[in-house]
Amino acid sequence: MSQKPFLLAAEGLSKSFDGFKAINDLNFYLDEGELRTVIGPNGAGKTTFLDIITGRTQPDEGTLMWDDSKHDLLKLNEYEIYRLGIGRKFQTPTVYNDHSVTENLILSLAGSRGIWHSLFGKITSGQRDRIAEILTTIKLADHAHRKAGVLAHGQKQWLEIGMLLAQEARLLLVDEPAAGMTDEETYRTGELLLSLAGKHTIVVIEHDMTFVRQISQGRKVTVLHQGHVLCEGPVDKVQADERVIEVYLGRKSKAA
Amino acid sequence: MPTQPFTGRVQLPVLIIAAVFLVVVMPTLNAFGIIENFTLNLWGKYLCYGIMAISIDLLWGYTGLLCLGQALFFTLGGYMMGMHLMLMIGKLGQYKSDLPDFMVFLGHTEIPAFWQPFYSFPFAIAMVFLVPGLLAYIFGYLAFRSRIKGVYFSILTQALTYGMALLFFKNDLLMGGNNGFTDFRTLLGADLRTASTQRILYICTAVLMVAVVAGCKWLTNSRFGLIQRAIRDSENRVLFSGYATANFKLFIFVTSAMIAAFAGALYVPQVGIINPSEMTTEKSLEAVVWVALGGRGTLVGPVVGAISVNALKSWATRAYPDLWVLILGGTFVLIVMFMPKGLVGIPSQIQELITKIRRKTPQADPLPPAISSETADP
Amino acid sequence: MCRFLTQRALQRVSLLLFFNLLLAGSFTWAKAQETPSIREVIAAAVIADSPAEQREIILSLKSRPSPEAISWLEKWREGSIFLYEEDGGPSSAVLLDGEADASGSFATIRLSDASPMLAADGSPIRINPKTVDFADTDSGLRRVMKEVTALAALADPSPEKRIRAIQDSSVGQKSEKLPALEALQAVEKNPKVIRVLGESIAIIRLKSRDRNERIAACRTLGEVKSLAAQDVIKSVLDDAMTAGDQETITAAKKAIAAINAHISAINAVGTVFRGLSLGSVLLVVAIGLAITFGLMGIINMAHGEFIAIGAYTTYIIQNVFAAGLKLSPFGISISIPGMNLESGANLYFAVALPASFIAAALVGLLLERSVIRFLYRRPLESLLATWGISLVLQQLFRLIFGASNVQVSSPDWLSGNWTVNDVVFGWNRVFVIGFAVMIIAATWLVLNKTSLGLLIRAVMQNRNMAACMGVRTERVNMMTFAFGCGLAGLAGAFLSQIGNVGPSLGQNYIVDAFMTVVVGGVGNILGTVISALGIGMADQSLQQYLGNPVIGKILVLGAIILFLQWRPAGIFVTRSRSLD
Repeated sequence: MSQKPFLLAAEGLSKSFDGFKAINDLNFYLDEGELRTVIGPNGAGKTTFLDIITGRTQPDEGTLMWDDSKHDLLKLNEYEIYRLGIGRKFQTPTVYNDHSVTENLILSLAGSRGIWHSLFGKITSGQRDRIAEILTTIKLADHAHRKAGVLAHGQKQWLEIGMLLAQEARLLLVDEPAAGMTDEETYRTGELLLSLAGKHTIVVIEHDMTFVRQISQGRKVTVLHQGHVLCEGPVDKVQADERVIEVYLGRKSKAA
Repeated sequence: MPTQPFTGRVQLPVLIIAAVFLVVVMPTLNAFGIIENFTLNLWGKYLCYGIMAISIDLLWGYTGLLCLGQALFFTLGGYMMGMHLMLMIGKLGQYKSDLPDFMVFLGHTEIPAFWQPFYSFPFAIAMVFLVPGLLAYIFGYLAFRSRIKGVYFSILTQALTYGMALLFFKNDLLMGGNNGFTDFRTLLGADLRTASTQRILYICTAVLMVAVVAGCKWLTNSRFGLIQRAIRDSENRVLFSGYATANFKLFIFVTSAMIAAFAGALYVPQVGIINPSEMTTEKSLEAVVWVALGGRGTLVGPVVGAISVNALKSWATRAYPDLWVLILGGTFVLIVMFMPKGLVGIPSQIQELITKIRRKTPQADPLPPAISSETADP
Repeated sequence: MCRFLTQRALQRVSLLLFFNLLLAGSFTWAKAQETPSIREVIAAAVIADSPAEQREIILSLKSRPSPEAISWLEKWREGSIFLYEEDGGPSSAVLLDGEADASGSFATIRLSDASPMLAADGSPIRINPKTVDFADTDSGLRRVMKEVTALAALADPSPEKRIRAIQDSSVGQKSEKLPALEALQAVEKNPKVIRVLGESIAIIRLKSRDRNERIAACRTLGEVKSLAAQDVIKSVLDDAMTAGDQETITAAKKAIAAINAHISAINAVGTVFRGLSLGSVLLVVAIGLAITFGLMGIINMAHGEFIAIGAYTTYIIQNVFAAGLKLSPFGISISIPGMNLESGANLYFAVALPASFIAAALVGLLLERSVIRFLYRRPLESLLATWGISLVLQQLFRLIFGASNVQVSSPDWLSGNWTVNDVVFGWNRVFVIGFAVMIIAATWLVLNKTSLGLLIRAVMQNRNMAACMGVRTERVNMMTFAFGCGLAGLAGAFLSQIGNVGPSLGQNYIVDAFMTVVVGGVGNILGTVISALGIGMADQSLQQYLGNPVIGKILVLGAIILFLQWRPAGIFVTRSRSLD
């Protein structure tokens, strides 16, 4: 059986902080166009995994290849990885507080990241339209000229997702998008992510199982535990898995 | 934009009037004898300081890099110009030698090789930019590559300045040691001691300052300016938006070093002396005071700050020589604590206060106004 | 006369006597009276008629070298022996006695027997030193005096003085000094003195006419690794080279190699020691900063001025123990009374240490309450505000204590040395190291073994969390900052003992202190210790090899910047998961 090329392939990744193994022999494969949800209890290594992908943390061992092994992500730094088309929304909303919403999006627009361009490049009308479009998508059109710092928590989350959209990333890494949102907002976020699926490859890290059910819809869910993939599969299967139940309910684990 | 508060930016017409006043009116009045030569010369000095203050603000106010080595770049630029001026003295020096006096004093008989090219004025001007620029490039490259930022950057620039000052205090460097350079005679054939030469130098300084303000205005309004301020507020986020922040910081660091150096080069022929005591960290910090007082994050603020602190200094060092330092230090502490936006920011601070009081009456607790400043510095 | 001499010295004297009889020729005067006391001999010499006679009499003392002779000759040389001429009678050597009276005259006693000089009517004779001639010396006389003194010193009961005398006698490699040294060698028991004797004798023998003796001397000097012989062996080598004397060349070269190896060993040990002491200075200076900057994140640019507060407190305490102090800040004159304690000079430091800690801590407390507490989240602004404070404090020092340095005396023992195998360990440097160890131990104890330390660590790790747990973080911040400033004050008390105290004292150390903490890694005391010692060592080694302190210092700064390329967060890294 010929193997389909992976967009992202992590093999044997390990990373420990002062003896604590945050990531332990992690193998993770992602296909182009997938919407993958990653769940796991606190300390399972979800955020550390994203840190490794985005170049914030260097693993102790293992490989991490991008786009059918064309690039070794471990050899690149943050902005080089970003330029490959990997965007990330952080767990706590991280936007430029002192910039207006529009300016936040301008900074995230796809295109040259060079100094020269930043000095002399003009914003094209196409880009202007794109920004207007994104503003509508993330429902911030009315707040376009407000400073991002004064937005509500949920709005900031959305702005950050908008920044990912502006980037036109191939892979969106979305860390706990529903945190601190009302049920209504959470549902709308889910809708937004679903509408993006297919156009982008998306990895969502989430705790909220209702939200996970909403967006996974039979797609693959990965359960992380102690820095290792515990099991993968559709959400129903995963939730029925005995080991997952043990991990979540805190019973003594045989695997450990 | 009704919610955007008044940020204290001085309106364009006011700026143009100020520029015309500085560039045209002041020298004209001087030519007719209404403004004394001494005063014009003093203002030339202030404007040089003002340019240095802008260069600091470009780094600190806009990019969040507090450089304590700006006086170093300023002085280096001054030294490069000084080398040319020293050679222009020719045989007019005390020892009637082609060599600068201090070299004769140290027992040298020939002009060292690295001094030779400074006979050429264009070369000296090129060096005014290149030497500080290169130093800033090397240091900045190392510092930004290893992601040294915030206070660490400040402390390291402080150490750099300290080290360089030690070096320049040494006679072996052949840069005049303790006494530096002085006793200049001519620049491009013009006698530096005449009022007309000094007036031309003043005009050059004023024009340069207007140019620097305009250039920085353009720079900070471009997308580069957006990135600059984003780096100031959340550098890691910028990194995760795909910008090589180190390059941006390096660019702005080198640019600002060159601006400071050019100001230094104009300063030396007007003041007539340059020595390593101008290079110390205290001088850099003093210049930071100007920026803080005037208002950082604005372009006019630093100039206002530089002029007002130095005017105050000229007066107070004569009137209260003992208390001057107390006044300077005390003012500085108060500004840092209570006027984070400086003089230029006073109107907006008052406005904020009024809004606060108004809001207090109908409702209990609105959005905390300090929300952005609290998360600003990592 | 035997009162001054030990049994062993007597033996030595008899040997020397034998030798001097050969040299001294005429003993007319000595024959005239049986055994005149040394005082009598000197008195006779003072009033002798001709310089030649004077020299002869003094040379006779060579047979009886003693500390007493040295001290009288010394008095003579400095002009405290006077000539009193009785009316028409012979002149006699006299000494001044007692206190001067209103006219500036003194009572007198005879040098020869210490009896008071009386006039014919029995009243004491008083002379005014300004009007009466003192016994003069000429160069010839001084030369023989020196000869006698040197010989006498060889018989000195104190081994240190004997060693000094032995070393002096080898200068110039005069063969006539040999017999005395050899005679001493025969009776000397002290191993240190024996070693020096061997060395000095060998140095003199390098000039010997006998080739074998020269070679043997080279060997000896190589074995004892004589530093003093370095140059003379080189000249022996040069002579041997011109003469083509292969055996001597080999011996001399070997000796020089041995000595050079010894020198580099000394230098290495010395460098390590100096590096250790410089590192200790850095450590003491930086430890307070490691608390305020490292743990609290406050960039205290006024740290140096807190050091100065400690130093000035020491200055005040010292003066309180002595004669008191007058200060006039802002034209107001303040007078601090002194206790005039006699042992104050050695005692005051014990009081000054806690006092300087408390003084600096109190000022720190004041600063924290008035300024710092508003700036906990704004490190760059705390840097600027504290710089303003530092300006103000410096100016205050200038106004209160004057712009020039003030004098802080250190206990006498600090200026001593301790020499082991040619390596000199200055007591002040040993003190520096000991002090650093003490201060680190104290800091470690406070941080790790007290409840305050526990609170400090908790608050510094997570201010909000600690506040939620009911810790009064405000108080802990205050105490921590005061503690850090107090440590700076201690550093000041310490620096006052090894350097100048002036308004800009702190400025000389501030850059080094920050570098030390940055390299060590913020928030880590152990890192600070390692980095202080490392920087100290690097600085001293570079100085040793470059012979230029400024270039060495600049290189160290460059090295620090390069080091941070490799470890941007210092030796020990504290990790955090938040984005900024």
